[in-house]
Parts: sequence; C-alpha cells; structure tokens
Amino acid sequence: MRNGGRARLLLVILMVTSLFLITLDLRGVKVIDGFKQGSQTIMSPFQRAGSVVLSPVKNFFSDVTHLGRTRNQIEKLEAENANLKQRLINRKNADAQLKQLKSILDLAGTAGYKVVNAKVISNGSSQSFSQTITIDSGANAGIKKNMTVLSQFGIAGVVKDVYPTSALIQLASDPSFRIGARIAGTQQIGILTGRGTRSASLQLLDNSTTVKEGDVLLSRGSIANRPYVPGVPLGYVTRVDNSAGAVAQTATIRYYTNFSILGVVAVVVSGSDSNPGDALIPVKPRVTPIPTVTVFVTPSPSPTK
Amino acid sequence: MLTRQISIATPIFLMIFVIQESVISQFRLPGGGFSVLMIFALTWAVLSETEVAAVIGFATGFLMDLSQSAAGPFGQWTLIMLIAGYAISYIGYGDDNVRANATGIIFFVVIANLLVEIGYVATGALLGVSAGSFVQVLITLFGMSIWALLVSPILLPIFTRLHALVFDSRSAL
Repeated sequence: MRNGGRARLLLVILMVTSLFLITLDLRGVKVIDGFKQGSQTIMSPFQRAGSVVLSPVKNFFSDVTHLGRTRNQIEKLEAENANLKQRLINRKNADAQLKQLKSILDLAGTAGYKVVNAKVISNGSSQSFSQTITIDSGANAGIKKNMTVLSQFGIAGVVKDVYPTSALIQLASDPSFRIGARIAGTQQIGILTGRGTRSASLQLLDNSTTVKEGDVLLSRGSIANRPYVPGVPLGYVTRVDNSAGAVAQTATIRYYTNFSILGVVAVVVSGSDSNPGDALIPVKPRVTPIPTVTVFVTPSPSPTK
Repeated sequence: MLTRQISIATPIFLMIFVIQESVISQFRLPGGGFSVLMIFALTWAVLSETEVAAVIGFATGFLMDLSQSAAGPFGQWTLIMLIAGYAISYIGYGDDNVRANATGIIFFVVIANLLVEIGYVATGALLGVSAGSFVQVLITLFGMSIWALLVSPILLPIFTRLHALVFDSRSAL
C-alpha cells in the first residue's frame, strides 16, 4: 500500500514536470530550444556517419514500396544489378547525387537564386506524424530559419531549425506545411497544404476562377523572399473538386519532388532581384518524331526469252 | 543499488536513442516505420514495477522530445510516455500470464505502441499539432503497429537480457 502510494506520488510529480515542460515550450522559453539545439549538435556527427555507412541500402524500402508502379524500370535494373559490385553501387549513389545537384543548380541558376547545397543526412521519424529531413549544412554555411529549400524538380520544404553544422527541414509533404501558390500562366492564387504524402491540397482564394487538371503551380513568394522565394515549381493539378456550394474551389496537387529519394537539396540563401515568373516550369518531355523512310520499288520488266 | 541501475541504464537508453536517430531514421520505411526506443521502453515497462516504469517512460519521452522529428511542444512525448509506462506496468506487473511468456509481452507492447500513438495524435490535436488527414493517420497507425509486431519478437530477447542485467536481484548482494 505504502509502495503504491509512493508510486502514485512519483507519477504525479513527473506529470507535473511534463506539463511544466509543455507550458515552457508553448511560451517560447529559450532553455527548451537550448536542449534541442544541444542534442542536435551531438547527434549530427552520428547521423552523418550513419548516412555514409547506410547510403547504398537506405532507399531499399522506398524502392520496394514502388515495386508495382515501376515494374518495367525494376526489371531493367535487375538485369543491370547482376553485374554490380559494392564499389559500383557507391559510385552509382555518388552519380545520382551529382545529377540531383546539377539539376538543382540549373534550377537555381535560371532563377538567379544564391543557394547553399547540402546532403541529406537523416530522415525524420514518422512517429510524430511529421515529415522532416536533416541536412549537413547549417548556420556556419549561412543558412537561417525560414529559407526555401529546393530539390532538383522544385520545392522540397522550408528550413525549420538551424544548428551550427546542420539544419532541420520541414518537407512540403508535412501536414502543417502551408505555401502561397499561383497557377502558371494565370494569376490565380491559393494556399497549398501538405497531406503527409506526395499529394497536396490547393484551396483557391477566389471562387470565381477556375482550375483544370494539368495546371502547373508555382510559389507566390513572401516578403523579402522569406520563407518562400517566388516562382519555384510546386507541382501540378491532378484532380479538381467541383462540389456545388463550396466556399472556395479546391484541387488535389501532385508535387514534382519525390520526397522519399531526396539525397541532395539546396537552400536559397538569397532570392533574385526580379521575379522569375514562369521561367522555372519543368519542360514537358517532347515526343521525338521517328522519321519513316518509304522506298518505292519499281519492278524491272522481266527479261523475255 | 539505485546508482548502479541508473549508471547502467543511462548509457543503454542513450545508445538506443543514437541508433534510432542515426540508423533507423535513415530508412524512410513504409507505413511510418517504428521507434526502437519506444519498443524498448514499453518492453522494460512491462517487466518493471510501476515506479520504475514511470521513470523509464519519463526518460524515454524526454529523449523522444529531444529528437528533431518531434513535431509537438517539448514535453508532449514525455507526458504520454510517462503515462504509458505507468499504465502498462500497472496492468501487466505481477501478472505472470503477461510477464512469463513472450507472446504476452509482445501483445502488450504492440497494443501499447498503438495506444501511445493514438494518444499522441489526440493530445497533438488539443495542442494544435497537425497530423494529416484522417485516412493518412489511420494508415500510419496501422503501419506502425505492423512494424512493432514484426520487430518486437526480434528485439525482445535482447531487451529482456538488458533488463535482467540492470535489475537483476543479485545486484543487491
């Protein structure tokens, strides 16, 4: 009985402590931020080491998930994989990151953004229903809170927290992610919200405007380019919800960025002086016409005997 | 006795936290994945007295709050894990049907894992933390439970041995 009473007293004390911590955090007390900052400073070398060691296999589960959808591609890769050795896997990984980096630099260069490139060293756990990644560059590289993060195809997320040598990125797929968007070609504006997957929902601000499948969305940009620079490709409309009586028109969007394979990202540390407009919209793949050659054969008159 | 237990348990907890953050988090597992730290804490809570289980839950929650992927306010995981640790021990401790067989422990851990996540979503809603659409939350909860069910039997022998190492009665000699 005495032991039970002591356990209950301990429980009450610890519960009060927990509630005290929650209250302090919600009131924005800096001591709590210090705890997190300190832990991340300690953890980032471990995460970096883990990223290096596990890089050949870290996308394994993601690949398995997409097995049904990319069967042809996987069959082709299986044929190639038979000849691959460990060294070649590492090389392939480096090449993929280089390709991502080149595409990011092309995107940033077209818009005139000044960017800091970084490698993804950790994916956030989904236990907290949040979508985050940790990158290997931080305040020492000029990264600050609330900066736009780009992938090779467009938006990747926004800088949520910065530490000396690493930074936490909130992915655009995070349910609490919000960004002002406009439809390319028109000036229709709306708010894009993450859903925890590669799809997002768009809510248009003006109900009299229309949106159609295939429309491309770009970021509207923020004051002083933070948190979002203008003109970054977000995704395209896959479904329009035309429910009668709705206050605002909504649509489902598919992000250009595949968040499960992010290896390299770029943080926009300085936006361009001018708005890039629609210049960053990814070019649709063009069908190359295959020339056909028609040969006319005129039979020669058969020799008469 | 207490000093010895804390001095052995602390590095074990820290090591598992580092493994979770630097190894498990590298994989974007389908269905939300699993938290080896949470499974570890819940397993120990089943095997411990209520007092010890409450402290284990508190310490685990504190570490989970330190994780960069914790979306809610600092202390949310601490509170939930504290209650979960106490509750699971209160229900399971002293009942040999639970403690004496591996299936009972795994069942308790998986159910507790699911309830903890539901508790996190519920308190998150009260504190203004977005968890995504209802369907997405259901998929994640289901996925996490499946992962816990797959991983718990593999890790159980290691975790119970570690528990015996720390709380072995011979240490009182």
